[in-house]
Amino acid sequence: MKTRYIQTTETIDEYSHLPLWKTCSKIDLIYIVYGLLVLATVLVSYGLGALNWLPSDPDSMDLENMMVAPLTSGYFLGTDYMGRDLLSRLIIGIQAYFVPGLLSIFISLSLGSIMGILSGYQGGRVESVVEYFSNLIDSFPRLVLILLFIAAFTPNIYIIMIVVGLTTAPVVAGLVRGKILFLKQRNFVESAIAMGLPTYQIILKHILWYNCRSILLIQATLGMAEAILIETSLSYLGFGVQEPVPSWGNMVQSGSNYLMQGNFWPSTAPALAILATVLGFHLLGDGLNNVLERKER
Amino acid sequence: MEHIPLLQIEDLRTYFYSSAKQAFIRSVDGVDLTIEQGSTLGIVGESGSGKSITMLSTMGLISANPGVLTGKVLLNQKGNPVNLLEGLEQYVELEHNSGKILKLSKDNRAWKKQQEKNMATVRGKQISMIFQNPKAAMNPYETIGKQISEMIKLHTEIKDNNSAKEKAISWLERVKIDSPGMRFENYPHGLSGGMCQRAMIAMALSSEPSLLIADEPTTGLDATIQSKIVELLQELQTDLGITTILISHDISVITKLADSVAVMYGGKVLENGPAELVLKANEDASHPYTRALLASIPDLSNVDANGRLPAIPGEVLDTINLTQGCRFYARCEKFTTQCESKCKTQEPPLFRMDGKHHIRCWLFEKG
Amino acid sequence: MSQQKVKRLVAVSAKELLLTALLLLGVSWVVFLILYLAPGDPFVAMLGGRMLQGEEREAALQALGLPSTWYGQYFSWLINMLQGDFGESLRNGQPVAAELWNSGLKTLLLTMGALLVTLLIAVPVSIYNAIHTGTKTAWILKMFAYIVSALPLFWLAYVAIYWFTQKLGMFPVLTGSQTDWNWVYIAVPVVLLGVGNGAISEIVRHLHEELGRVLNEEYIRTARAKGASVWRHAFKEGLLLPVSEIIASKIPFVIGGAIIVEQIFNWPGMGRLAWQAALDRDFPVIMGIAIVTAVFVRFASLCNRFIYISVNPRASNE
Repeated sequence: MKTRYIQTTETIDEYSHLPLWKTCSKIDLIYIVYGLLVLATVLVSYGLGALNWLPSDPDSMDLENMMVAPLTSGYFLGTDYMGRDLLSRLIIGIQAYFVPGLLSIFISLSLGSIMGILSGYQGGRVESVVEYFSNLIDSFPRLVLILLFIAAFTPNIYIIMIVVGLTTAPVVAGLVRGKILFLKQRNFVESAIAMGLPTYQIILKHILWYNCRSILLIQATLGMAEAILIETSLSYLGFGVQEPVPSWGNMVQSGSNYLMQGNFWPSTAPALAILATVLGFHLLGDGLNNVLERKER
Repeated sequence: MEHIPLLQIEDLRTYFYSSAKQAFIRSVDGVDLTIEQGSTLGIVGESGSGKSITMLSTMGLISANPGVLTGKVLLNQKGNPVNLLEGLEQYVELEHNSGKILKLSKDNRAWKKQQEKNMATVRGKQISMIFQNPKAAMNPYETIGKQISEMIKLHTEIKDNNSAKEKAISWLERVKIDSPGMRFENYPHGLSGGMCQRAMIAMALSSEPSLLIADEPTTGLDATIQSKIVELLQELQTDLGITTILISHDISVITKLADSVAVMYGGKVLENGPAELVLKANEDASHPYTRALLASIPDLSNVDANGRLPAIPGEVLDTINLTQGCRFYARCEKFTTQCESKCKTQEPPLFRMDGKHHIRCWLFEKG
Repeated sequence: MSQQKVKRLVAVSAKELLLTALLLLGVSWVVFLILYLAPGDPFVAMLGGRMLQGEEREAALQALGLPSTWYGQYFSWLINMLQGDFGESLRNGQPVAAELWNSGLKTLLLTMGALLVTLLIAVPVSIYNAIHTGTKTAWILKMFAYIVSALPLFWLAYVAIYWFTQKLGMFPVLTGSQTDWNWVYIAVPVVLLGVGNGAISEIVRHLHEELGRVLNEEYIRTARAKGASVWRHAFKEGLLLPVSEIIASKIPFVIGGAIIVEQIFNWPGMGRLAWQAALDRDFPVIMGIAIVTAVFVRFASLCNRFIYISVNPRASNE
């Protein structure tokens, strides 16, 4: 295989003024564009679902058109085993994970940042304590912990997402801590203190905002992917959103009974939606990581 | 029989493609160097002048993927000059227009394979290399003893562990490490920087190579340790008579060790010749850059009336945007009205002074 | 090895063991706390067999000879557990410890097999990507890893079951009275869990980055300059340490996936038990599972630390 490198510009006097998207690699750009498209689709669909502006009623059953293929009988994506419009159900299904996902992201980012700052900025004994708690959270398999919470409380998606947020916080904490240690190594923090900046300003503005925002953004995109996968797993286990309210997880689950009979589409359509979305968030995170984080090193 | 030097580099060019800058960086841009058996060549220049890249290219250690490597590196192998860059061109297609590269396509995998094939019997066995920052350049996961023994077992007749260990300890003794038997078991992190550099020198020499390349061997060490390392290298040179290429931006190191000197700037050799001629820097037989470089060495005699040290004005050449003329023109203070027009528009060739002394400057055009 | 070094290794290992013990104590605390905070005082229910309140609760506690304070309850539970008594299942009255042992071994087989499959896919992809960064094949391999990680595991499992039944005439799901254990019953769930547990993409991302970083280290350049094998020198820092770290950190993920795979394939392991326990609010069982899995995770992490300490000569100086 041959790799091609083409000198695009005749002479470059000031490359530092090139916009970011011009200097990053093409493949990262594709990842980011794809991820942003997915994000936009999810956002728009969430809005449509919330306003109930749908192609057709997601609960109305068309018993004459059960499990039809896409683009037949006026159904853009076909219908499920009860003759309900798959597209509308997919759009409504976003409601099941979107807001809970945001909650888990909020918890993991805020708690993770606090833990990271405490251990990275303070160091010493505080660091050991934070490390202990991180290790403690990491000791539980996430799904086992969720099942424990379900047994103890109720199978509520918000409680579950709080658990997910708690269990992802150590990852964020580790990244924030690493960044602070990196900045400390370069005497960034010392010089900020020497300049007489107040501590809260150093932490909030100079560490969190200027230096950790890309980490947090990347973790937020990965967190949404995580929320989708957790929601689908729990729906499969019967602890998520219950029929007839659709979620991507219970759509795959209910369709899978018919998969055994050779009717692939009703469970494959939501599975593909999960694939496209999760992949989108993962690639967005990767692309952003390559473009925003690696440049600094 | 024709006389063949140990290593001859002809028109070596190493370009990197930077995707961030969307351009080719000409780190080495047509370098010619010759090193005779038993001599020591010093290469001086500011950082970024391409001196390290020249030697890494010679060793086939250029790992940056989008790169071009052309020219010839002829190594004397039992009387026959063998080109270390043999066959690499066939995997690269270049499209250029008056020296400016427009397009490059390269079969990286085949290129690398060919390079490894060319270098297989050369690295370590015929050419050894020592680097700056010895603590990072030695494997932190293995004892220095094991690393030296590995070199001995790879490239000498000694294959069994015990005699390799004995040999390694004798090399450690040779580079003046105290209690070598104990140090044999030490990891790099347990040694000081100077000690580590000694261990690295021991490792490089333990395969008894015909050429030693020392890439900034004293940089990053304390001043007192620097001079000790230089002393050690001097001693080893007289004892073993090994051919050495010494890269340094520190002219005092070069002065002590080198027989001949090449001055590099912007990926090209601006001046080369016997050390005493180049480093004397006579007004009438020296490149303006060499003179400026020598004048910027801290010394009690060269400070001006205000107690300031002369510096070379301007910045190190950006090797992306090469101008048509002499690369040093923008920072040069010596050009005359007669030569200025040429300096601006034409790259000077190497003009021969006397003997083996060459200078790349229009001031020395004859006729 | 010098005596001093051995001494230092022992000291560091002792520190790790102490830390693990402290963490396990914390684990028991967390589990107790969750159950203690749960509505309906499940802790007492667990001991008495049903939910009780007020005086009735006190009476039941006295009848059982249990302390009424929370710390008293905690310690009696902890001491019982340390003696291997995890209580009795609320559902069928069987001792939990025996059930955990039986199902735990089966889950161990499933998860370890799956982890092996995961590594067999992820490690070569990472190595290929680190060596041939930016080539088309490397990209395709990486995308494959990303795609299988983004697919819902149970959908993948259903497709596999469909394929096996239709094409091979085998139904790879264990049914109630299974007598003929066949390789399919083990291999299909193991491979599926290995492929679809969602960890592959993360492993590839991490390992590719680590390996890429190590291959660019100065000491690797030295190894090349001396004509030695790059892989021999890069192995410890570039492969052994990150892989052992990955195994330790991904075990919880694989256990999570096992809950789903066991459900689909009727695998009589701990995952199914956990699911059943959550459904029935069978506290002794779910608490036991949480504790056992946490012990397992900590054990894996301890192994990782030991590997790190023995491989990295700088570790004993930290």
